[in-house]
Parts: sequence; structure tokens; C-alpha cells
Amino acid sequence: MNIDITDLTRRFGRTQAVAGVDLRTGAGVFGLLGPNGAGKTSLLRMMATVLPPTSGRLRLLGRDPGSYGPRREIRRRLGYLPQNLGYYPGFTVAEFVEYFALLKDMPPGQVPRAVAAAVGQVGLGDKARAKLRTLSGGMLRRAGIAQAIVNGPELLLLDEPTAGLDPEQRVAFRALLRDLGQRATVIVSTHLVEDVGAACTEVALMDAGKLVFQGTPDELIARGEGTGAAGDAPLERGYSAVLAAARSTTAAA
Amino acid sequence: MSDMDAGRPPGAPAPWETAPPDVDLSRVWTSVAAEVWRRRPGPLERAAGRLLRSPGLARALVTTPSLLLAWIIATVVVLFAGAGATLATGTPYVALLAPAVAAAGIAYAYGPGIDPAWELSQSMAVSDRIVLLVRALAVFGLNAALGLAASAASGAAAALTFGWLVPMTAACALALAAATLARSAIVGVAAGVAAWVIAVLSGAAAGGQFTTAVTNTALVLPYLAFAACCSAVVLYATRIPRGTS
Repeated sequence: MNIDITDLTRRFGRTQAVAGVDLRTGAGVFGLLGPNGAGKTSLLRMMATVLPPTSGRLRLLGRDPGSYGPRREIRRRLGYLPQNLGYYPGFTVAEFVEYFALLKDMPPGQVPRAVAAAVGQVGLGDKARAKLRTLSGGMLRRAGIAQAIVNGPELLLLDEPTAGLDPEQRVAFRALLRDLGQRATVIVSTHLVEDVGAACTEVALMDAGKLVFQGTPDELIARGEGTGAAGDAPLERGYSAVLAAARSTTAAA
Repeated sequence: MSDMDAGRPPGAPAPWETAPPDVDLSRVWTSVAAEVWRRRPGPLERAAGRLLRSPGLARALVTTPSLLLAWIIATVVVLFAGAGATLATGTPYVALLAPAVAAAGIAYAYGPGIDPAWELSQSMAVSDRIVLLVRALAVFGLNAALGLAASAASGAAAALTFGWLVPMTAACALALAAATLARSAIVGVAAGVAAWVIAVLSGAAAGGQFTTAVTNTALVLPYLAFAACCSAVVLYATRIPRGTS
């Protein structure tokens, strides 16, 4: 199991962002769905070793991120795309990706080829020497994805990766996700249900800090059948049905 | 149509499309792109990489904008204003000014709102604490070197320099601790500068001279103890708690 989480919680003052999440997963593309404020980003940030948990057990790639040595090993094998990708406007795309490759402790001799491969994979080859400040939002997102995959990560965490991408780019990105999921654990946090249907082998749904569903996309679709739940597509109906059931259970309790 | 297409009949394959089947064009393209796109580090970055034994740290030190801003501010203020005033009046303005300037530089060396890619940097194998330490040492070292040169020029080099290096350490440590706890560079600057002004004014009130804060050797140990306490606060505030597994 590349991710092994037991009863993980995170509080911000009085707000419980993540409330007792259990999650185990290996290689493949794992979709993390949920409405705004469900706790997806907080959970992803804990898995990215950026945010320490308040309580619970978290093991990544078989290691404990609470200790310095194992945390560094995890980070060498980690790719992370934050929801709000900060960048240095004066860097070119290649410089940006190279900078983070070096901070990931990649052997310097391997960095130039890895950068070229990553930039090529996200389709930014013709913009590799363009300054980041000159790029569109979708291109910046792709530059962010390139830095996340430059080290060939075993654990790849992507927070809203398709935000700002046009339909053609999203199709290409889903193909890239499926390819990466052959050998790595890819966690994709999104509120776009169609991304999950097209790329994910497994899906979890979060609401109010808790996992209210975990299964395959087909199982999520099955939850919506015959319920009359709102949605234009089968996955959307499954999503709505699971959320409605979870909220009614909470309200009843 | 590009120059490379000139003279080729419409529909005819380009030369690179007729490569021998045993040639992996993708690998060739990647190799060429790697060579063309790679950033050649300058002499300063190469030297820093050798010194720090980490190309990533050297890149973080030399190329990221937050440090450059602090660096420029420190250089301009200390070198021109401080040294000029010291030479003109004989009063060690460098010694009095440097701790406050260095404190500002330290507070602006790293953090949310300062480093645009701060969130991303926190997930890197090269720890953000190490990046912070190296940037702090760089700002401190630059100020120390400039102050040393200016003090030497004014004639009272050694005693004066060591007199202000220690209070500068204390002011910087306080600025860093305040900035880390408040997660605000402005708070760090305010704390560092305010504490130093208070120290200078207190020294003037007690000893009758503004330079007491940097010339009184009895203050060395309290300054160092204060710096150690502030450093401990920074270490504690930036730790990742154990017990998560």
C-alpha cells in the first residue's frame, strides 16, 4: 500500500477539516471527489507532508512522514500540484521545472533529460523557454503538472489539475494520468466528475471532512441508479445520491 | 511554412519523418531539448553548489526573488548610507544600523506571501528549514562582510565589528522568530527593528552614548543567550510533530 491512513484528523481552531479518514490504496489513479469545503485539499496537503495531522496514523510509501529521514525519502518520491500553484514570474518553464527537480534531490546529471521529458509530456515543448509570466492559466497549470511528474514520482498528488485546461488538453491530461497510474499511486482531487469517470480506477467521495464513499466509478454510478438523484450523467447522479444519503444520515444523527 | 519545409513537394514526408526505424525520435528529441533548455549556473551558483553540496540549495539561494530583494536592500542601505555616515562623522553608524537592516533582511528571506512557491517548496526533499537557514546565513554573511569592510575603513575594525556582530545576531534571531510565529514578514521586521531601537535607546540612557549597545562587552552574553532562545523558538515552531503513525 502506497497510502495507508487510519483515523486521520485535522483541525484548524474550532473547524474540523478532516474528521477520521481511513484510506488504503496502491498503484492506480484515485479520484477524490467532494463539494467545496469537504476537506479534500486538507487531506491532500497532509499526504503531501505539507500539513501535519492533528491525530491519526499516516504512512506514505511504507514510511512515517513524522520523522525527518523517512519524510525526506517520501518527498524524493513525491509529486505534488497544489491548488494554488505559486511560481516565479521570471523563470522560464524549463527553469521552473528544473528548480523543483533539484529541490527534489534528483541527481543533477539526470535533471536536464527529466525536465525535457516532463515538459514534453504536458505538451509545453514549444513554450519551454517562455517566461512563466507570459503563459495563460492553462499553460501554468501544465507547467505545474510538469514539475510534479519530473522525478517520476511513486506518489503523485494533484489538486484540481484540470482547472483552466481546455477540453483538448483535458483529454490529453487524462491519458497522461492513466499512463502514470500504471506504475504510481495518483491521487486526483477534483470537483469535476467527468475527470473521474475518464481516468480513475478508484474513487472516494468526501463530505464534511469524512469519506462517505469509496469504490470504483461503476460502483458510484450504481449508487445513483433508480434514486432520482440530480445529475446530467450517471456518475453525477451517483455523486448526488451518495452525498444526499450521507447528509440525511448526519441530519438524522 | 518554415525554412526547413522549403523545396519539399506538398504531402512529401519531412526528413525527420523518414528516420530509420531503429532510431527512437522521441529519445533524440528529449536529448536535444535537454541540452537546449538546461540552465547553465553562473559562477556564484556553482560556487554555492560546491560549498553547500546541493545544487538545489544553491539554486534556491541564488535565483529565487525573495532573497534578491533582501540582498539588494541590505547592500544599498548598509554600504552607502551606513558606511558614508560612519566615515563622515566618526560615529559607528554601520554598527548601529546593521542589526536593524539585517533583521529586516532575515524576516523577508522566506515564508508565505514572500516566496510565491512556498506551498510547493514545503513538499520538497530539500527541507524548507534548510532553505531558510541558508538564506538567513546569506543575508547575515553579506551584512557582516559589508559591515566589516566599512568598519575597517573607519579605523576601529576588529573590536567594533565583533561588537555589532553579536547584537546583530540577536536582532536577526528575534526577527526570524517573530516572523515565523506570526507567519508575517512585516511582524518580523517590526519586532527586530523595534527591539534594536529599544536596545540602542536603553544603552544611551544608561551609558550616555548611543553606541553603548554595541560597545559594552557586558552585553555580549545576554545578546547570545537571547539569540539562542529565539533560535529555539524558530526550531520549535517549524517542527513537524511526531506521533502521526
